[in-house]
Amino acid sequence: MLKEKGQLKFEDKWPNMRPIVLKLLKQEPVSPGEWQDLFYDVHLVCLWDEKGPAKLKDYLQEDIVQFIKQAQIRVLAQREEQALLKAYIAEWRKFFTQCNYLPTPFRQLENTLLGKSGTSTLLSGNAKKGQADESIVRKLMLDSWNVSIFSDIKHRLQESAMKLVHAERNGEAFDSQLVIGVRESYVNLCSNPNDKMQIYRENFESAYIKSTEMFYRVKAPDYLAKNGVQAYMKYADSKLREEEARAQKYLEAGSNAVIQSCVDVLVGKNLSVLLAECAPLTKAGETDRLQLMFRLLERVPDGVQPMLMELEQHITLAGLADMIAAADVITQDSEKYVERLLELFRKFSTLVHKAFNDDPRFLTARDKAFKAVVNDTNVFRLELNTGKNPGPKTVAPESKCPELLANYCDMLLRRTPLSKRLTTEEIESRLRDVLLVLKYVSNKDVFMRYHKAHLTRRLILDASADSEKEEDMVEWLREVGMPADYVNKLARMFQDIKVSEDLNCLFRTSTARHDAINIKILNAGAWARGSERVTVSLPVELEDYIPEVEEFYKKKHSGRKLQWYHHMSNGTITFMNEVGKFDLDVTTFQMAVLFAWNQRPRDKVSYENLRLATELPDAELRRTLWSLVAFPKLKRQLLLLSPAVSGSKDFTEHTLFWINQNFSLIKNGKPQRRGKVNLIGRLQLSTERSQLEDNQSIVQLRILRTQEAIIKILKMRKRITNAALQTELVDILKNMFLPSKKMIKEQLEWLIEHKYMKRDDDDINTFIYMA
Amino acid sequence: MPYQQMDDKSDVDSQKPEKMFTLKKWNAVAMWSWDVECDTCAICRVQVMDACLRCQAESKTDNYGKQECVVVWGECNHSFHYCCMSLWVKQNNRCPLCQQEWSIQRMGK
Ligand SMILES: [Zn+2]
Ligand SMILES: [Zn+2]
Ligand SMILES: [Zn+2]
Repeated sequence: MLKEKGQLKFEDKWPNMRPIVLKLLKQEPVSPGEWQDLFYDVHLVCLWDEKGPAKLKDYLQEDIVQFIKQAQIRVLAQREEQALLKAYIAEWRKFFTQCNYLPTPFRQLENTLLGKSGTSTLLSGNAKKGQADESIVRKLMLDSWNVSIFSDIKHRLQESAMKLVHAERNGEAFDSQLVIGVRESYVNLCSNPNDKMQIYRENFESAYIKSTEMFYRVKAPDYLAKNGVQAYMKYADSKLREEEARAQKYLEAGSNAVIQSCVDVLVGKNLSVLLAECAPLTKAGETDRLQLMFRLLERVPDGVQPMLMELEQHITLAGLADMIAAADVITQDSEKYVERLLELFRKFSTLVHKAFNDDPRFLTARDKAFKAVVNDTNVFRLELNTGKNPGPKTVAPESKCPELLANYCDMLLRRTPLSKRLTTEEIESRLRDVLLVLKYVSNKDVFMRYHKAHLTRRLILDASADSEKEEDMVEWLREVGMPADYVNKLARMFQDIKVSEDLNCLFRTSTARHDAINIKILNAGAWARGSERVTVSLPVELEDYIPEVEEFYKKKHSGRKLQWYHHMSNGTITFMNEVGKFDLDVTTFQMAVLFAWNQRPRDKVSYENLRLATELPDAELRRTLWSLVAFPKLKRQLLLLSPAVSGSKDFTEHTLFWINQNFSLIKNGKPQRRGKVNLIGRLQLSTERSQLEDNQSIVQLRILRTQEAIIKILKMRKRITNAALQTELVDILKNMFLPSKKMIKEQLEWLIEHKYMKRDDDDINTFIYMA
Repeated sequence: MPYQQMDDKSDVDSQKPEKMFTLKKWNAVAMWSWDVECDTCAICRVQVMDACLRCQAESKTDNYGKQECVVVWGECNHSFHYCCMSLWVKQNNRCPLCQQEWSIQRMGK
């Protein structure tokens, strides 16, 4: 290379280069020699002619533009839509292919134009990857195409493409490659490296969206008017799917704009018409149609909320109506009540599952409604303030549901006809059902109170159907989040009863003559809730055992005192009369009453004399006598009386009682000579008076828990707003009960008055902890 | 005298024919509690019938759930959880209630 700069001119070389360039543009064959020459000439021009590179670029551009003009003429020669598109796509593809070849020999030019050193020119074939994209020549080609052909005919192109899509929507078939090809040219045409989709989006996509919207703006109202809303829902749903599939075919991925505008036209514009269908469909339980409606409405912002409200309202109303309709049965029969509730739950859970695929929002609406049904106080209510003189703190009545749930649990866990009929698995699944319902109960503390009372009876009477299941149940209660101190108390009873069983074994082996007695000596802390004991004068047969047991106990333990709970103790006696011989399971109180006749079997004894004989308090004696003159299951009662009364309240001190010498158990209408009957009924755990105190103690306990929780929150937060405090409080207490606003307010006042906390001087709705 | 019964229950089986009711089985129920003057342990403020706070936290019971947390009486007749008192005397060998020197009178069992 000894030639000096300026010796070689661009004009000398261009005549050799140009034919090769034109061949390349037209996709005509180029020989390897020509291809090499082009490289070399570009190299020389760049190296020796200072003005060469700029001239080369200008001449090249001129030829490219000329070529494109030819192509445009060929395309526009087509009149018919499909032919036009086909011609355009063919020209474009050819040109686009050349965009990848033509720049290669001019890489040296590009480097020179960019001011880079030309020494590595001959290696330009190994140009870095990605350079093709930045190539000046390539950009020149694409920009030229964009300016000269595309700008002139893009409206015709788009229009033609959209006409084809429109035809497809009307059911006509055509070559979808025509639309796809046009789209591709829009995408590839873009030389803006920051937004490669710009040309596509601003032209093709927006035209597509506009034509789609136009199409349904006309079709949708028409369809709705002609076919009605039910058919329209199906139509809208299928069209949306269809458009989703179509968009996938004809549009670039990544934008949902066209579906959004379809949703707006098909669903949003008809929202009120669609929502009007929600109530009747929900009522009729039309799960398929509801599902369809859900699919449609889920796509618009305010679509689902009204459906949720409709569902919640429907379940609440239907559930309550059902409960009220069956009130006669379910208030009497806890099994029927729980089964009725579960049936409701199942029905509506199935609805939510089938219609709404267990969508969390609908599950929440269902749960809200279940809560309303379970805690409703219309069918039956539990008055916590049953006192004749309700104190100043009157408590709103609560649902009796937890009491009935506890009763049902008892029927499953005790030896009853129900528990005998069911398999272990069935009992377990029903207990789980109870826990499911319990989840919705606000006053769970009431359930626990009744559950504990029933458990106490079962353990004291040895009446559990399955002791393993009993302990399982305690763990399940723990699992569903019942407060630990409640559950621990139950667990402690099981532990204590085992201790007591061991002690009984020791006692029975300690001497030989104790066949007739079993003792349960229990931990007062675990069992007795400060309940008062009832005095009774025991028959001698029983009385004689007492010192012996106490003596035995003293030897085993020290520092302990014993209190006899005769209202809980019970036994079996044999009764002999003219008809036969019967075993009777009775309470110790019943025993005390009946043994009074052993000395005077045929006497008529007055109420007053029985009171003297047994020393039972009036209320207990009345209750005990009533159980012997009017036991529900007996056709022939054990005791007869005169004059007849309609209830235990009507006994006077002169009412006479005597043993029914014709007493017998009746089977198939025939009196039996032998038999066994249980007269215990529901074992009394406390006196009538303390029953009342129990109800009040629930209220007292709630007050205490509320105070504790408020202090706990304040201790942690130091200062807190009223609203935040209420939220945290409900959260802490929700597994026991739902604190009323009124009660919270009262307790806050009390705590302020007693200087546990104070109101902020600047903001009376903020509380501050005081140590 | 409500029950002027002549027979001893030991000859239940040789009952006279006119004896109408005879005992077959009696399940007697009693509750035990510590024989204390004050229900609450003055040291941990928990009822003495319940395990002390430490034992509750460790749920320290044997297999049968028997409380190991027993009660102890001092010569002054004041009573506390044994656990609580044995920790207390390490710091101060006086009864927390009456300040008399602490010495154990008896232990609960
Ligand atoms: Zn203590
Ligand atoms: Zn302890
Ligand atoms: Zn002392």
